[in-house]
Amino acid sequence: MLRYILKRLVMLIPVILVTSFLIFWAMSLTGGDPALMLAGDNATPEQIEEIREELGLNDPFFVRYGNYMKGMLTGDMGKSYVTKRDVFKTFMERLPNTLMLGGAAVLIAVVVSLPLGIYTAIHQNTWKDTAGMIFALFGTSMPNFWLGLMLIIIFSLHLGLFPTGGKGGLNSLVLPAVTVGFGLAALITRTTRSSMLDVLRQDYMTTARAKGCSEKQVITVHGLKNALIPIITAIGLQMSLVITGSVLAETVFSWPGIGRLVYDSISKRDTPMVTGAIIMCSILMCIINLVVDLIYAFFDPRIKAQYSKKG
Amino acid sequence: MKKKLALLLTAAMLTASLAGCGGNNSGSGGSGDSGSSSGTEAGTAAGHKESLIIGTDADINNLNLQEQQDATNNVVLKNTHQTLVFFNNGSQGDDRFVPCLATEWEFTDDTHITMKLRDDVYFNDGEKTPMTAEDVKFTLDMAMDNIVASALKGYVQSTVIDEHTIEIEIESYNNEFVQSLASVPLSIQSKKAYDDGVEDPYYIGTGPYKFDEWVEGEYCRLVKVEDYWGNDLPETDNLAPGVAETIEFRPYIEASSRVMALQAGEIDVCVNPPINELQYLEEDENVTVYEQTGTRLFYFAFNVEKEPWNNETLRQAVACAIDRNAVLEAAVYGKGTLQTTILNRGLWGFYDDMEGFDYDVDRAKTLMAEAGYADGGISTTLSYASGAPYEQIATIIQANLAEIGITATLEPMETATLKSECVEGNQELFLWRWNEDSKVDFVYRDLFYTGSGSNYHHYSDPKADELIDAVATEKDPDTRLADAQELQTYLVDACPQVPLYIANLVIAYNKNLQGQYFYGGGNHDWRHAYIAE
Repeated sequence: MLRYILKRLVMLIPVILVTSFLIFWAMSLTGGDPALMLAGDNATPEQIEEIREELGLNDPFFVRYGNYMKGMLTGDMGKSYVTKRDVFKTFMERLPNTLMLGGAAVLIAVVVSLPLGIYTAIHQNTWKDTAGMIFALFGTSMPNFWLGLMLIIIFSLHLGLFPTGGKGGLNSLVLPAVTVGFGLAALITRTTRSSMLDVLRQDYMTTARAKGCSEKQVITVHGLKNALIPIITAIGLQMSLVITGSVLAETVFSWPGIGRLVYDSISKRDTPMVTGAIIMCSILMCIINLVVDLIYAFFDPRIKAQYSKKG
Repeated sequence: MKKKLALLLTAAMLTASLAGCGGNNSGSGGSGDSGSSSGTEAGTAAGHKESLIIGTDADINNLNLQEQQDATNNVVLKNTHQTLVFFNNGSQGDDRFVPCLATEWEFTDDTHITMKLRDDVYFNDGEKTPMTAEDVKFTLDMAMDNIVASALKGYVQSTVIDEHTIEIEIESYNNEFVQSLASVPLSIQSKKAYDDGVEDPYYIGTGPYKFDEWVEGEYCRLVKVEDYWGNDLPETDNLAPGVAETIEFRPYIEASSRVMALQAGEIDVCVNPPINELQYLEEDENVTVYEQTGTRLFYFAFNVEKEPWNNETLRQAVACAIDRNAVLEAAVYGKGTLQTTILNRGLWGFYDDMEGFDYDVDRAKTLMAEAGYADGGISTTLSYASGAPYEQIATIIQANLAEIGITATLEPMETATLKSECVEGNQELFLWRWNEDSKVDFVYRDLFYTGSGSNYHHYSDPKADELIDAVATEKDPDTRLADAQELQTYLVDACPQVPLYIANLVIAYNKNLQGQYFYGGGNHDWRHAYIAE
């Protein structure tokens, strides 16, 4: 198992190489000169050229990429063109906020969607199932910036229960987490339902009932445990997406997370910040996937045995 | 059943506790003694909220004065740092540029300016280090090695005459050089702080506020300097001490969220509220919506190096075809002012009485024929930055151009990309905006002088260049004004751009806000603002 984990961690090296190259390449293709953005409107062409030279923007693509990777090898992700601050430090300052939002959103999603998915599965083709699926459809198709604004209007403006935005106490986390969590809950509900439906039709479920297990025991012990693998996969995927994909919720709620940082940096053509942040996000995603794989092993002895063999 | 009830109660309690466990964002609780030694009226100081919270529309991203050119950063830095000259917008009488850290100045010859400095100023460094001519020289010299050098065009060097006198040498006489010194990034910094290796020395200023805490992406909080050097100055002086104990800037990038934060009382000021949501604010009895003529000029422009837009008559035809009233209505619901000239409203020498090109499709068609395009038949692209108001403007203009036989393909792109495209001269028609509220040279030279950095029209005309130089260097005020009017008329006729409208400055705030000074360009002065209670 340990060897398997180490092997997966070593796999991060090609991920970093490929990601950094792709981001560097994409940023060079998008057009837009960082020197122009930095210089301001009143700069002369000579001053713009000086900035370009200072930032090394006149160097060929591979020289710039090589210089960046040289820094990476020594743990230096460079400095932001705009803020002049260390990229890694800036990222790490924002990361807890994103993890907090993502964690809370996933928690809300799991608390809502697991019971709902199971409930709709065992009441398949009834009005309860239909109601649950309408909720899921609503959650999947509703833009979360709209939901966020609606929640602010109701819970902040009218009821005065939560702040409209910003990162303050725990109460400031509620509305953004519900906004992001609602969309996730919809997807996890659908996955849970379909996974449970597959399991409910299995012979071992009939056997469990025949042995005299209570329906609750049949569903939670025999059913849910066997249905968990796709559900864990869905949760892991959603967690990965939340890390970089909460830009809208972060913007609506003025939440200082990574999504907003990356978005702002792209609009300012802040290549070191964009590249550094995306590399870090890739590493995080790999780690989340690894954790998900390890959780598989925890729930399914067959998978655990495979890891041991591979290891 | 009991279990369900218990669960519901637990959920209700959890919600209530979460709702209650945040900090009190109102910051209320006026203090009776605050500001009592500041020279501010005791009555005013006694009845105000401790904090003033400003909801900005952009993140604060760099507070090192000379490493940034960002408007939001500068609004923050204006409270903590001070310039040699103050750009006045009403608080100090009618003069637009008034003494600040410099008390007086004079040109000893065309290239030398002697400045006298205040002798009672010290830095907020805890040691009351006096501000001297050495600090001024250090600040200006350092600026030339930073990106703010563009704000100090023409500077050669400075010489310390004595502790409170400095001589500045410039390349050649320029009417607006002294005005450059009012630029916030050129605020005076402490040489000693840099020499002593203080961490982040640029945080140390001489202003009535100093930095308390900045959490990037969340807030930047300033706290009033208790032993501020200007505590005895009257409140009418632009250097007077602050009133609110703290000023906090919080970014709310999403405009609707910013509006709701104001309505919920979490912020006291909402910068740039979206025009289409003003009605909600106007209906709110706790909110004041303020509107004044702004300085931000939106315009439609040509790359005059590209065929067929090098044809002046054709450009004039297009100018006549544009229904600017419709543009104004679609872009900002009519909240702006149409103008004919290329200069931002409010700047020195603003002149708008030339004939120009009003909306007249018949005249446009006549000019098209004169230009050799009687049947139209021109296909082109109109580039602009994605989003409002450019989308709306582009759609109207596309329809207007179609009426005179010009097919324009709309090409929205990111601002950074558009800027690069314009510098490289790849665009044909484009939409842009220019925001200038202090120096005319930052309009004439930057936009129209041959080879200048923001001359996206790629316009080059020796006569225009000559007039631009004359406005910059002519010493006789009457001759200079005549030159300015001639230049504006000349540029409107040459038509490298079609001015569309000046957008109004709109800002919403707590109805009890007092002591604020608004600037049409957005560089507002919050140093003496507070929420009365």
